[in-house]
Amino acid sequence: MRSNAQAQSNLMWPYYPDLLARAVPRYTSYPTAAEFGTDVGVAEQRSALESAQGPISLYAHIPYCSQLCWYCGCNTGTVGNGARLATYLEALTQEIALVSALLPHGSHIGRIAFGGGSPNALTPIQFARLLDQLVVAFRAHAPQISIEIDPRDFSPDWAATLKGAGVSHASLGVQTFAPHIQAAIGRVQPTAQVESVVAMLREAGVRSLNFDLMYGLPGQTPDDLQDSLARTIALRADRIALFGYAHVPHLIPRQRLIKADALPDQQARFMMAAFGYDVLTRAGYVPIGFDHFALPDDPLALVTQQGVLRRNFQGFTEDQAETLIGLGASSISQFPDRIIQNEKNAGRYRMRVSSGQLAGNGGVLRSADDRVRGAVITDILCGRPAELAPYLSRTVEEGLAPFLARGVARLEGTTLHPNADTAPYARSIASLLDVYRAQAPQRFSSAI
Amino acid sequence: MRSCDVCVVRNRAICAGLSPDELDSLNRIGRHRNIAAGQALIWEGDDALLVANVIEGVLKLSTGTRDGKEQIVGVVYPSDFIGRPFGQRSQHSVTALTDAHLCVFSRNDFDSFAREHPELEHKLLQRTLDELDRARNWMVLLGRLSAAERVAAFLLDMSERLGNPACEGNAAPHESIELPFGRQQIADILGLTIETVSRQIARFKADGIIDAPSRRSIHIVDRAALTARAG
Repeated sequence: MRSNAQAQSNLMWPYYPDLLARAVPRYTSYPTAAEFGTDVGVAEQRSALESAQGPISLYAHIPYCSQLCWYCGCNTGTVGNGARLATYLEALTQEIALVSALLPHGSHIGRIAFGGGSPNALTPIQFARLLDQLVVAFRAHAPQISIEIDPRDFSPDWAATLKGAGVSHASLGVQTFAPHIQAAIGRVQPTAQVESVVAMLREAGVRSLNFDLMYGLPGQTPDDLQDSLARTIALRADRIALFGYAHVPHLIPRQRLIKADALPDQQARFMMAAFGYDVLTRAGYVPIGFDHFALPDDPLALVTQQGVLRRNFQGFTEDQAETLIGLGASSISQFPDRIIQNEKNAGRYRMRVSSGQLAGNGGVLRSADDRVRGAVITDILCGRPAELAPYLSRTVEEGLAPFLARGVARLEGTTLHPNADTAPYARSIASLLDVYRAQAPQRFSSAI
Repeated sequence: MRSCDVCVVRNRAICAGLSPDELDSLNRIGRHRNIAAGQALIWEGDDALLVANVIEGVLKLSTGTRDGKEQIVGVVYPSDFIGRPFGQRSQHSVTALTDAHLCVFSRNDFDSFAREHPELEHKLLQRTLDELDRARNWMVLLGRLSAAERVAAFLLDMSERLGNPACEGNAAPHESIELPFGRQQIADILGLTIETVSRQIARFKADGIIDAPSRRSIHIVDRAALTARAG
């Protein structure tokens, strides 16, 4: 008997496993974090801050959660008795003072984003004080504010705080509504809890609400995914990020708690991603890049229509600022000509900033070539036509051939045009432009 | 007798509503401080961050900028709670603009006390949000280009916050303000010269928007017009 999920799946993307055989980065930056070197640090960070131009976005990282979920690869630890968090906040305050003092006079802060970890592992008072510090230090009187929320730690006081602070964008870590999968990934949050948090966030004035959802989870069936998508659609999430769970316990030890034998295989994962795309686009969501979706009136959909969707460390974004300053341990700052990552270890981060030093510890200077390639990679990932002219070398042509042969993209002159089947292959196509990944055209040609 | 019993701001301060027992415990972790105009608030020999209730007086919160200048980041009045991080381990400082009387606590002591008294914690949250709101308004005020806008916005802010300290709740804004400080201090706070401040006040007066019966008193005649001048 066909399940509901299978019955609806006649729009499915075509599955070509050979085109997906190579592991490729997510390209939240180019060059990627794998190319960061320790030769770039405080000096490069200082000069970039001193000469920052145009609108600036801030990202503040809170690397703590009240409970750790087993699947999560984020840089985060448990709150414990709260002392670690309080000490961290003190260091963050010091970094805010250091960084803000270096920016040119009159710098304009357009956005402040809080991520983690779980920013709501802070108490509401801690959050309000942190925002106050940012407002005063950066003279940011009317920034657009966004925050990641763990529904398990939300409260009416938090809702009142978000309202008082004027937070307009929130992202909920939902992942799945299926109780058996929640148990298998160490993140139990009943549907009623999520529904109540959504109601509180709307009441508090959150206009753009994102749900993070996952496919490829242990024991997850297409019907489970369909159920989670249906509940998400019913709650009118303005945005949805549908991520594939990557099981890499050798890199992320806490994933050892997840039983590998119940994980869907690559084909099942592909079908779930494809199914998610079909369900959400049929429900009226606009596909954004390769794994995001947004209601047509959400800013993310509007910038996509205008052809100016961007990609940064937070994923796909409508933010047009050229400068993103990351604050907190492991945060990444993006400037047009360089990327700098803060010290990742919270203890060493604290030592750095409390001795009056910037926290930059690694990164990359982006050459002119990096910047042009980065722009082409962004075009491909954002699902818009990409001009390949400067790079349509023999190597890229060979690599591209199997994608063109399968019809998952079309080359017209030197412009690569995406189509409805491009999204799952976008990262693989983008990687052909990446000089830091070994090009291996023979691997692709063997599949033709 | 506890000093709280005769405190002139107790109906409006953050501690309003605490029981006599709770006030006793709060008294044990707090200290009273008198500060003369021009003096900075510090807690000797302790590097903890401070919070304080303002009982009497007006104080400025400021921070040093890279070029060595002082930037005023807020002004606090009687019954206000000073909850922003300041003290020796932060770049903020608190300086009395007039002789002032405060009830001072270490941040950690006060926060622990609040955690054990949910009603106080709730008020603390509310005060912190109010402070955030004021910080934003202040940044808007400092971002205003014209002197007329700054002076008008500052007079409006003072009229809303310089109420009778004994009054409960959020009283309506006062049409008559007794200035706690002179034109020079207003000029310092707003980053203007004393001549500019005096000129703006004279102009508002000539236009019939305010009256200035003496050097220290301002009467708001036409609030709507003053609001319009604030931009």
